[in-house]
Amino acid sequence: MDAPTCTIDGFGPLPVVRPDTLTALGELVREAGARGTALYPIGGQTMLDLGVPPQREGVAVDLCGLDRVIDFPARDMTVTVQAGITVAGLNEIIGRERLCLPLDIPLAAKATLGGSLAANASGSRRHGYGTARDYVIGINAINDAGEEFKAGGRVVKNVAGYDLCKLLVGSLGTLGIITQVTLKLRPLPEQQALVSVACQDSSLEALLDRLHASRTRPVTLDLLNRPAAQEMFAQANLPVSEAPWTVLIGFDGNAAAVEWQVQQLRDEMCEAGGEKLALGLSSPALRASSLAADWDLWPKAFLTLKANVLPSAVAGFCRNVTNLGQPCYLRAHAGNGIVIGHLTEALAKEQAAGWVHVWRRLASAARGHLIVRRCPSSWKDASLVWGPAPPAAWLMHAVKQQFDPRSLFNPGRFVDGL
Amino acid sequence: LSSPSDLVVYECDGFTIAKNKPDVVVFPTSTEEVVAIVKACGEMGVPFLPRGAGTSLAGGCLPVGGGVMIALTRMKRILEVNYRDRYAVVEPGVVNLWLTNHLKGQGYHYAPDPSSQGACTIGGNVATNSGGPHTLKYGVTVNHVLGLELVLPDGQFVRTGGPTEDNPGYDLTGVIVGSEGTFGVVTKVWVRITRNPEAYRTLLGVFETVDDATNTISDIIGAGIIPGALEMLDGLIMQAVEAAFHFGFPLDAGAVLIMEVDGLEAGLDADAEAITAIAKKNGAREVRRANSDAERLLLWKSRKQAFGAVGRLAPSFCTQDGVVPRSRLPEILRAIQAIGRRHALRIANVFHAGDGNIHPILLFDERDPEQVRRVLAASNEILDECIRLGGSVTGEHGIGVEKIDFMPKLFTPEDLAMMLRLRRAFNPDGLCSPAKMLPTAGACIEQSKAGRRAAL
Repeated sequence: MDAPTCTIDGFGPLPVVRPDTLTALGELVREAGARGTALYPIGGQTMLDLGVPPQREGVAVDLCGLDRVIDFPARDMTVTVQAGITVAGLNEIIGRERLCLPLDIPLAAKATLGGSLAANASGSRRHGYGTARDYVIGINAINDAGEEFKAGGRVVKNVAGYDLCKLLVGSLGTLGIITQVTLKLRPLPEQQALVSVACQDSSLEALLDRLHASRTRPVTLDLLNRPAAQEMFAQANLPVSEAPWTVLIGFDGNAAAVEWQVQQLRDEMCEAGGEKLALGLSSPALRASSLAADWDLWPKAFLTLKANVLPSAVAGFCRNVTNLGQPCYLRAHAGNGIVIGHLTEALAKEQAAGWVHVWRRLASAARGHLIVRRCPSSWKDASLVWGPAPPAAWLMHAVKQQFDPRSLFNPGRFVDGL
Repeated sequence: LSSPSDLVVYECDGFTIAKNKPDVVVFPTSTEEVVAIVKACGEMGVPFLPRGAGTSLAGGCLPVGGGVMIALTRMKRILEVNYRDRYAVVEPGVVNLWLTNHLKGQGYHYAPDPSSQGACTIGGNVATNSGGPHTLKYGVTVNHVLGLELVLPDGQFVRTGGPTEDNPGYDLTGVIVGSEGTFGVVTKVWVRITRNPEAYRTLLGVFETVDDATNTISDIIGAGIIPGALEMLDGLIMQAVEAAFHFGFPLDAGAVLIMEVDGLEAGLDADAEAITAIAKKNGAREVRRANSDAERLLLWKSRKQAFGAVGRLAPSFCTQDGVVPRSRLPEILRAIQAIGRRHALRIANVFHAGDGNIHPILLFDERDPEQVRRVLAASNEILDECIRLGGSVTGEHGIGVEKIDFMPKLFTPEDLAMMLRLRRAFNPDGLCSPAKMLPTAGACIEQSKAGRRAAL
């Protein structure tokens, strides 16, 4: 039988090692450290193309063998699990106690918790519930000497020691290999609803401003351009709107609160926009489709860009990129300023780099940044993928130097070559 | 300031057991001045540490190494408020409550609200990652800090994060919050501002025993309700609070719970009814409801100023800060009672029950060294018990100098070594806030007059 291999973002094939115990993992890291072998932690392999491809030979470390539930005191609304558990597996276990982790991680059936946290995956509900940094209260990881270290703990409120949880979440595996996580959970809401509002171009800003000031408290607030709305609605077998913009507004909570909000929003929208707004209460299918969050990893995308701008600039940013003329599929978490754009048409590298440059300029004008989530691997370098080095890049390098002086962990794949 | 009589004010903070005077206190008014001060300290090899309002209860602002104290109370401007994008930019010396007051009338507030919010500064809140009674639903300081400007110990300054979310790179903001001033001096803070709840239902549950109250807490959360606040007061603290504020607390009850749900008006009654039923099921003698804003505010005033009212019970008191998993609250409270009996100390309890964050208040007379010794012994036992029950030795006050000896009990040498590595990235020479947070070689605190004196 052939030894397993894995190609990471076009680089490889790399040998895959799958340790089933922490001891084995520690030993693996120690040996790699002695030899200077690069280690590429992998989980469900759903986001291997995030960042810059590896440039050094090394070993892919598969964490899927470390997937145990360590402790689940449901009444404390926390859970401690190993990092290799799939997100769907975790959701199933905590769902039995009517609890949830409201992060909308893409491809949950495959994605591991550790990988999702390293990539800081998030989705629509971040508007109401925040992101991974708000849920990780304890973390264990393997350091460059193969030793396990931890930070935080198992209680929801804890300020003992430096909060390395924050550092490791979103670090793309460059500071250590996450092995175990304690999460704060939330109760599953009694009821959920999703409202879609179609909108003409001229009233987009007014609509988003109105929603910002609404008496309701949405937990999701997504803006879709026409191609994205048509794609999503079609997937859900729903009639497709011809309006240039669609806003999906989600609520959850107890039944009385959800029902009141849906009615209230209907009233507010009628007051605000008159006949230009088409209002529809969604079917569960649309809810499933839009919240499934798999959208960010839409396989048809040739080029995927992610911008983070001020929420007030979302409408303008989305209009500007739509007006560039290149057909694209846009979804924005309008309340958070996060915009994901997919371009499906294959482009030449120079042309694509030109688009990225223009998008990046627009994002910067909206006080944000732009990263390239997906493009052909061969095009990638840190500046194309992550954009210019952030102002604190030198300090990030100092942290990396302390945690991983020999650059064992995912070398060169993150921001500014971290 | 440099005269001995001026410096004495800065020899300690809210943790008065350990004291040491700084050599000089400076009051910069701008980032540039902080840079100049820090650079001068670096050139002369003099330690320095930042200080806000000095409300730390763990010796966070204790100048253990002497040196220069950088008091940030004159950097107190609110620089920007952006309602549409829901953030504000403040200088570190802005008092927590000023920001919320500034936002009044616009439907927004700054969510972290420690009991000392009328005095403590946002810079200090950032250093300790402060909590407060509303953290159960709204989170602690780090959940509301979007970005920081930090002057590093070598005088360079960096900006981390900012008003937008998901900025590329490591979440340095997230680790600077809660670093207790050991990474540098924060000179600007981007904070999230939060919409006000539309309405509240504030309930007061009266219980015969502490166990009944703690079981109620577990059942409320178990029913999927996340109250805005869930605070417990035991019989002893009620006496003090009642004498001070005349709220009408029942003096013969074992414990009361302040249970508040907030949010939209719609659905609140359902939650309030569910909570009432749960409390009754757990043996609540009665469940009262605050019938007006005035009643609600008096109740909260009673809670937030409970520590002040404790002065009525004893000449001195020491407030501890520990955390246990919510479901272990009955066990820790029984343990606290037993420890109090063993050391012949009265211990009052008022705390953030929903988070499992306890604040036992040990009553004593600081003039009696024997009592002081017993208070310290009892405190240590309580914290050891928190660790044994799977908790932590601090939920919101910080490690400071007070709890540095507990770090090796909570963390392995490997854990502490990684934290030290992180500190070296920010503060390689250790001039900034020396001898805080991590028990490291070379950090032997000169507890010369760690005078076992007063404890507030």
